[in-house]
Amino acid sequence: MAKDRTLLGTGLRLGCAAVALASALAGTLISGPAFAKDDLVIGAIQFPGTFHPSIDAMATKNYILDMARRPFTTFDQDWKLICMLCTELPSLEKGTAVEVTRPDGTRAIDATFTIQPGATWGNGNPITTKDVLFTWEVGKHPQSGITNSQMFAKDIVGVTAVDDKTFTIHWDKFRCSYDSINDFLLLPEHLERPVFEADPSQYRTRTLYDTDRTNPGLYFGPYRITRVESGAYVVLEQNPTWWGEKPSFKRIVVRTIENTSAMEANLLSGEVDFVAGEVGLSIEQAIAFEKRNGKRFNVVYKPGLFFEHIDLKLDNPILADVRVRRALLMAIDRDAISRQLFEGKQPVAHGQVNPLDRYYSDDFPKYPFDPAAAVKMLEEAGWKELRGGIRHDASGRRLSLEFQSTAGNRTRELVQQVLQAQWQKAGIEVRINNQPARVLFGSTMRERQFPGMAMFAWLSAPENIPRTILHSTMIPTPENGFSGQNYVGFSNPEADKLIDDLEVTCKEDEARPLWTRLQQIYAEQLPSLPLYFRSDSYIMPLWLEGVRPTGHQYASSLWVEQWRSKQ
Amino acid sequence: MSAGRRFLSHPVSVLSLIVLVLLGAAALAAPLVEGWLGVDANAVSLFNRFGPPSAENWLGTDELGRDVLVRLLYGGRVSLFVGIAAALASAVIGTIVGLIAGFYGGRLDDFLMRLTDGVIALPLLPLLIVLAAVDLGKLGLPAGLAQSDQVSLYRIIVIVSLAGWTTVARLVRGAALSVRQREFVLAATALGAGNARLMLVHILPNVASPIVVATTLSIGNIILLESVLSFLGLGIQPPLPSWGNMLTNAQELIWSAPLLAIYPGLLIFVTVIAFNFVGDGLQDALDPRSGPQRR
Amino acid sequence: MLRFVAVRLLQALIVLLVMSFLIYGLIGLMPGDPIDLMINANPNLSPSDAARLRALYGLDLPIWTRYLNWLAAALQGDLGYSRLISQPVLEVLKPRLLNTLLLLSISLVLALAIAIPLGVHAARKPNSVTDTAVNLLCFAGISVPPFWLALLFIILFSVTLGILPAGGMAPIGGDGGLAERLPYLVMPVATLTLVSIGGYTRFVRAAVLEQLRQDYIRTARAKGVSERGVVWRHALRNAMIPVVTIVALGFGSLFSGALVTETMFAYLGMGKLIYDSILGNDYNIALVGLLLATLMTLAGNLLADLGYAALDPRISFTETRT
Repeated sequence: MAKDRTLLGTGLRLGCAAVALASALAGTLISGPAFAKDDLVIGAIQFPGTFHPSIDAMATKNYILDMARRPFTTFDQDWKLICMLCTELPSLEKGTAVEVTRPDGTRAIDATFTIQPGATWGNGNPITTKDVLFTWEVGKHPQSGITNSQMFAKDIVGVTAVDDKTFTIHWDKFRCSYDSINDFLLLPEHLERPVFEADPSQYRTRTLYDTDRTNPGLYFGPYRITRVESGAYVVLEQNPTWWGEKPSFKRIVVRTIENTSAMEANLLSGEVDFVAGEVGLSIEQAIAFEKRNGKRFNVVYKPGLFFEHIDLKLDNPILADVRVRRALLMAIDRDAISRQLFEGKQPVAHGQVNPLDRYYSDDFPKYPFDPAAAVKMLEEAGWKELRGGIRHDASGRRLSLEFQSTAGNRTRELVQQVLQAQWQKAGIEVRINNQPARVLFGSTMRERQFPGMAMFAWLSAPENIPRTILHSTMIPTPENGFSGQNYVGFSNPEADKLIDDLEVTCKEDEARPLWTRLQQIYAEQLPSLPLYFRSDSYIMPLWLEGVRPTGHQYASSLWVEQWRSKQ
Repeated sequence: MSAGRRFLSHPVSVLSLIVLVLLGAAALAAPLVEGWLGVDANAVSLFNRFGPPSAENWLGTDELGRDVLVRLLYGGRVSLFVGIAAALASAVIGTIVGLIAGFYGGRLDDFLMRLTDGVIALPLLPLLIVLAAVDLGKLGLPAGLAQSDQVSLYRIIVIVSLAGWTTVARLVRGAALSVRQREFVLAATALGAGNARLMLVHILPNVASPIVVATTLSIGNIILLESVLSFLGLGIQPPLPSWGNMLTNAQELIWSAPLLAIYPGLLIFVTVIAFNFVGDGLQDALDPRSGPQRR
Repeated sequence: MLRFVAVRLLQALIVLLVMSFLIYGLIGLMPGDPIDLMINANPNLSPSDAARLRALYGLDLPIWTRYLNWLAAALQGDLGYSRLISQPVLEVLKPRLLNTLLLLSISLVLALAIAIPLGVHAARKPNSVTDTAVNLLCFAGISVPPFWLALLFIILFSVTLGILPAGGMAPIGGDGGLAERLPYLVMPVATLTLVSIGGYTRFVRAAVLEQLRQDYIRTARAKGVSERGVVWRHALRNAMIPVVTIVALGFGSLFSGALVTETMFAYLGMGKLIYDSILGNDYNIALVGLLLATLMTLAGNLLADLGYAALDPRISFTETRT
């Protein structure tokens, strides 16, 4: 990586070498904010690996790239689908989306998008449909190394350019989500084609996003990346070719500080202005920080689409009984956990649809903390005899379950031990056996090897139809190549039909009853135990305004041009 | 002056021994202390997080409302057990290798000493990290065993002993080489004593002192190593407490509860330094010629 | 002499080769693979995508084949790419290695600058109060857990006093010059120095004591050389031979010890890189990093032998030393 020292110039107002030396020797405070209010320094706990938009999804990378480039469509802070790089969402009513029948007889849909007229790459080249076609070509190429190829290789069967700015997406089948191409992340054809064509199988390592990260032609957002110090920080400066609202900060620095106590020290000393929820501190750390320094900072908690829950393996003979599943939920005091560990900032979840979602329904059974009812239900289910504090059934089976989660995740380990203690009181023995995240998600869950319970979170987009999680065809098996995320093994014909129907029921008033019924089935059957919706916590300086957390998987930095300093 | 007398003439070593005995006794008595104070090391109390010291919780409570003192004692059990077990295992491996090399000499000696040199040349800590991260399931261990609660305990003992036997091996080999030529050994050989008998009855007792000293000193090092690995999240796995992994959590809490980061570290420090002093005193007592110099 | 060096280099090469195979095998035994980590960050990754990526990264091949492929490429100078950082391995290693060397050399010089006078002083009056005090301090240095010492430093200097940065390398946007990195170096250097002083001091003390027992010292004293001169000029000079040896021999372990310190202070050196790469299944970096660490140890050993010979002409290389 070439070191670009010219860019430093005079703009970075840092204590010069002599001052730093003197202050170190004198043992005085490393002086105030490293940047004036023209600059915003954001703390992140990770450093991005690659900077390629479609290789290896990673929160920090997305957070940074969202300031330097934009998706065609995305969900906004009110969880509505909007156009960013396109001019208008296609729609059946307006005729920009058309239902078609493919030659093989399948019912499908074509959707037409138009690129923003002023959209220009950072080197002045206009963004055209050539870029769209190239992106699709790279995306569906099996050797390109793009991480998620499903949309490019399977869902989209064709892309045609109408003219320089307008193109049509041909979807493989009819779907209500025809208007969303959130993950169709544009690549610059004029820069990347030679690299890609030289050797597609080497594209993932030779892409300019990793070999020439500060090339202005790679970006088209309000900012572009002008300096990268691997492992330490990324500097973004205003992009002169940006066509939208002019951003306020001249320069944004995303600084990586892996150690959370160091992060706090940097916030307090002013070396870091802002810690973003998407890439920052855990909620407990934020709460503890707020308690001590709440007056100096504006701490915002945004509950979101992180659905923290416990998957119950329904093949387990103990868990196959719905009464046991309900008793498990009633035996734990989720309210107390939310209050005591999270100061009530993480609302208790009663189902997997977030109350902020427009299809949320309140009309389903809930299971508040009720140890007496839990015990009664367990006894009904045959777990009557207490031996050494643990329930046994008539055949002498012990009410004992294995409880897995991601090792090293402190919050989960805390919650786990609380839950274990509460279940113990109801006579349920729970053995904690955690695995590193890569093993838990890479093989244990994927191949359904977990024996009892597994706690983790789903992060989804708003209005996400839970096909992969609840549809019976999505139970991973060796036959389907362990495809799908219905790890619990939930199989309910009514739920299957509701999910199938929802995907093709595009009108809100027609979809609503289906959504309600689906939530009722989930709550009645409890294939997993809902715990709470995780919150992102933003620690902002009092002078910063315009930051609006989204609460879903798309980052708040997509609206970076609205951030400004109060003075 | 007898060895015991000589040891007693080192006040620091004697004090260290007393500290170690007290620490060991306290750790062994953890369940009694638990009962006596009326607390439970694993009882989570959400309403008593980061509690201050009180009549019930002498050192306060941790982030889950568990009693810090009792957890420290249980952690001490684990840390001391790992230190002593791994030091003994290293001593056994080292003694066997050293005896064989020193007794048989020749090619076997050359090979074993090259191996020892090779192991010494390894970057210890990074390799231990790799070893500690190895998935035992992939090694073909049955899932039940590979995932049991205790596995992290035994794993760390095994990998530390695999790396820690070299000092004893060299010591024993050197001693065995010199003892082999001594008259009583030659006499025993002439009387037809078997090799095994020679090694065990005639040579081993003569190399016992350096082994004892080296093993005592290595306990301290191993406790340090265990704490580092546990701290990095690769040693003893929670909920089993060890002084090292108690510090892992404390690191994140140094702003709100710095004391949680002080206690376990202090105990590691005291224990390790005590073992080192005892080892130093033993060396002086058992091998007066070498004086207090030590590598 | 040349023959000796050649033999040792050959031995080192063999050790490295064996190590590369062992480490490759061990890394293969670690849980999960890089694609599992991708799934972890991106749970919507479909199994067919995972299979496609595994094939693309060559992870579907048996470990033997992968090792041979790696070796063949490595021998041609291609060490592959870092998975975590998306850069060629050498590009990643170079700055990290320099950072570590900077940290280590400052700490080493400081440690010796303190340990030598301390050790000599203690040796002049064995079993005196000073000697005992120095001895206690040495034991404290040897026995303190380095990460805990680092933690204490952070609590004291960053949390309580707020005068030193709790971690990192340099302020943002600077030119990375030594002066602006100084505040960031203070605590890591202090940690490394404090944990290594003890061993060095004890060693210096023992070596000087040993020399003071020698005949030539008696001769010098008889000739009327001042006590000061005897200790500092004669005894210390000869005592430096074993000291140099131990420093060279210890370089490898110092390198390992830097791992903890670097991780604690988020100092972007080799140790932290190796640690991160092991945890992040970044095979290429972990492998080359570990080999480099081994190489450092081997080089240290060789230097120790050569230095020993240079300083003490009595040592010859005809006999094999064990």
